Amino acid sequence: MNKPHWSKLIRTAALVLPAAAVFAQSPVLPDAPGRDTVQRVCGACHPATVVLGRGRTREEWGQVVANMISRGAKGTPADFASVTDYLAKNITTGQSNGKTTSPRRVRRGFSMGPDDKQIVDTEAAERGRAVYMSDCGSCHGPLARGAKNGPDLVRSLVVLHDRYGSTLQPYLQGQHPSVEGKPIAKLTGDQIKDISHFLHQQVDNTLRSGPYTKVLNVMTGDAAAGAAYFSGAGGCGACHSATGDLAGIASRYDPPTLQQRLLFPRTAAPGSGGAVAAEKPVTVKVTPENGESLSGTLVHIDDFTIALRDAAGTYYSWNRTPGLKIERNDPYAAHDELLDKLTDKDVHDLVAYLETLK
Amino acid sequence: MNLRSLLCIVAAGCMLEAQTLDPKKLLQPPVDSWPTYNGDYSGRRFSTLSKISSENVQTLTLAWIYRTSGATGDLGGIVKSTPLMVDGVLYFSIPDHVFAIDARSGHEIWHFSWTSKGGWHLGNRGVGMYGNWLYFETPDCHLVSLNSKDGSERWHKQICDLDQYYTASVAPVVIGNHVIVGVSGDDLDIPGYLESRDPETGELQWHWSSVPKPGEPGSETWPNVEAMAHGGGMTWVPSTFDPELRLLYLGTGNPQPVTAGKGRKGNNLFTESIVALHIDTGKLAWYFQPSPHDTHDWDAVETPILFDGEVDGRARKLLAQASRNGYFFVLDRTNGKNVITSEFVKTNWAKGVNANGQPIPNPAKEPQVDGALVTPNQGGAANWPPPSFSPATGLFYVNATRAFSEYYIFDDTEKPEGWSGNDRGGGGESMLQAIDYKTGKIRWSHKWEGTGVRSGVLTTAGNLLFTGDTSSNFIALDARTGDPLWHANLGAAVSNGPISYELDGAQYVIVGAGDALFGFVKRP
Repeated sequence: MNKPHWSKLIRTAALVLPAAAVFAQSPVLPDAPGRDTVQRVCGACHPATVVLGRGRTREEWGQVVANMISRGAKGTPADFASVTDYLAKNITTGQSNGKTTSPRRVRRGFSMGPDDKQIVDTEAAERGRAVYMSDCGSCHGPLARGAKNGPDLVRSLVVLHDRYGSTLQPYLQGQHPSVEGKPIAKLTGDQIKDISHFLHQQVDNTLRSGPYTKVLNVMTGDAAAGAAYFSGAGGCGACHSATGDLAGIASRYDPPTLQQRLLFPRTAAPGSGGAVAAEKPVTVKVTPENGESLSGTLVHIDDFTIALRDAAGTYYSWNRTPGLKIERNDPYAAHDELLDKLTDKDVHDLVAYLETLK
Repeated sequence: MNLRSLLCIVAAGCMLEAQTLDPKKLLQPPVDSWPTYNGDYSGRRFSTLSKISSENVQTLTLAWIYRTSGATGDLGGIVKSTPLMVDGVLYFSIPDHVFAIDARSGHEIWHFSWTSKGGWHLGNRGVGMYGNWLYFETPDCHLVSLNSKDGSERWHKQICDLDQYYTASVAPVVIGNHVIVGVSGDDLDIPGYLESRDPETGELQWHWSSVPKPGEPGSETWPNVEAMAHGGGMTWVPSTFDPELRLLYLGTGNPQPVTAGKGRKGNNLFTESIVALHIDTGKLAWYFQPSPHDTHDWDAVETPILFDGEVDGRARKLLAQASRNGYFFVLDRTNGKNVITSEFVKTNWAKGVNANGQPIPNPAKEPQVDGALVTPNQGGAANWPPPSFSPATGLFYVNATRAFSEYYIFDDTEKPEGWSGNDRGGGGESMLQAIDYKTGKIRWSHKWEGTGVRSGVLTTAGNLLFTGDTSSNFIALDARTGDPLWHANLGAAVSNGPISYELDGAQYVIVGAGDALFGFVKRP
């Protein structure tokens, strides 16, 4: 396979330059506030370095963090806010276009293909799109996902094995079948390289790191039915009020974020830039068998120990012996209970209703 | 292989060289070895050792810690692999690295590092062994064979195409002269497969595809040839094997595109299926599909555990799986017929169970543009961490999670590809479930304080169950009651399936947590 020249050059350079070689072998997270938290929280399940080379916007990182929480990421609300902030500031979108990244940094993103994957030049891809639309799109479809007269090019091995035209050029200049008895248009090497960038851009768009990671539209419900559920079966009025804590909530959150907040109020929410929703911590009152009660914010609990921080900021912990009494107050317990009751219609109606609270 | 070790394998019973696996060990319960991913081919992860018991587990002590980061310089190498222990040496892996350490002391004997060309470095489930050769897969799609004595590379073979975003993570399982390898990856739409490779040369012996070819059985469950050819079904958890029936049992992964099902209407065989393959040919003997036409990423790869039991007064050869979709299945492993279907956590995505014992998916709970509230979430009611079956209690044990999430379609274009959607959510609860295989009912449940448990399970003849919780505790519970009896905070969540073996009259329990492997022992 004919591999890209620049990539080879950089690899060769990495071999002869000791400092570069060290970097190439051990990708490290940028040294900035929050790095230790990323290492601890993300690194508990996977190498924290998977984030390298997959720059995203703050909003997109918020979605990633929300997704990870749903998969069991462990941390306090402050940890998740710190992780999102670190990623948004240090693993930025500028790193994913290849111009500010080394080959090794491209390596361990969320959709992990080959290290030498083609780095899409967006300007070349735009030029390539124009040529593609004029000469290829009618058979292969506008997104290159195939159409009646031409196969899917995102799934094409000629494309997936291509680097900067390496397999595409010989194919298009000799092997591509004729269309309705006529040979396909004659394309120059530069045009084919541009088409290569366009096609690899379509492949990248199909990967999990592509643009199809956004909630499209959750405003499909009936606001009046949502209002009825809010004050009726949902029992939301026990804690909330449309003119009190929820006044103006629609101005503070977009609809997808509102939907997530009402269902999963503890977790970071997409659309809010990863801002952590759980302002209200779980509080506990712990009473030792022959001692005085202490109350505070729950710091840790497992089968064997419990820890809290009291109003003065002092940390206390106990072994969970049979005589130790624990009373727990989870401000979001009612939301948990709702999950087993809500229908999808209820969810959409509630979001529609909350969106009226401008 | 040299002549002597070849003779030893052919003529079982002769004195073997050090660091060589006697193939007879693979057909016995693991006692002084742990020679394959699950200890033996059954997948039960039950140790017949009882020196450590519910009576004395409080005297279990730390013997050693081995940190992979000391050898690799990378703190991110989480130990998800189950170590093999053969002749006093432990062999285990993280992506791109294999380690041999002294099973008595934890001292490193050798460390092999693979120079990667890419792929997903999410986890590696371990190594397989044949004679004195080791086998492991790399994220960049290679099967590598090493000499167990010194970790030197013998050969490597490409087993998948990185450019299609395949990657490789599963522990090879050695059965006779077959090295069984699987593949991972679902970023682009690609078919899954399982292969048998020659242990000497790495050459292909057979190839089984998770998706059929046009006209083959199962092809009627796909709308067209293209959807079928790109239909997924990865093979990323080690298989189990019945030496008498000569059948290999495999759970396959999710169909692709992952969350958008509109281009692949039908049941999508043989994705999210438990399949039985003839070990010598790779031909399909039977299948059972836990999740027809899944759109939630609920791989049915969880270990299909084999045991013999009694159902309705009849002795049966059984297979059981606690599947990622929340259902527990018991099958007759001679023919794949369903014996029991039950929920091991409460779910909301099925309309019921059909006459074949399969859940019937509710189309309203497929991902939607405006979201569908579904439980389990994508992480699943269970996942790859190995469960256990104890013949002493007759219970199937699995670490389970019940969580909701909202499943969205992100790509509503005409032909969605790749993932095309995802879930968002959080929270939930986790618990260790002890399931009675005869009824499918939960005998006892031990709820953890947190959520998102990802720890494997080991049971022993000492009435013990070893596992991890949602914090960082490694815990021994009474396998009969679920009462915690002993624990230690390892500083990171238990990240693999624990194992046990006896050496010099002492019983050891080995567990991975974060970047480290821990050895615990009860000395005589």
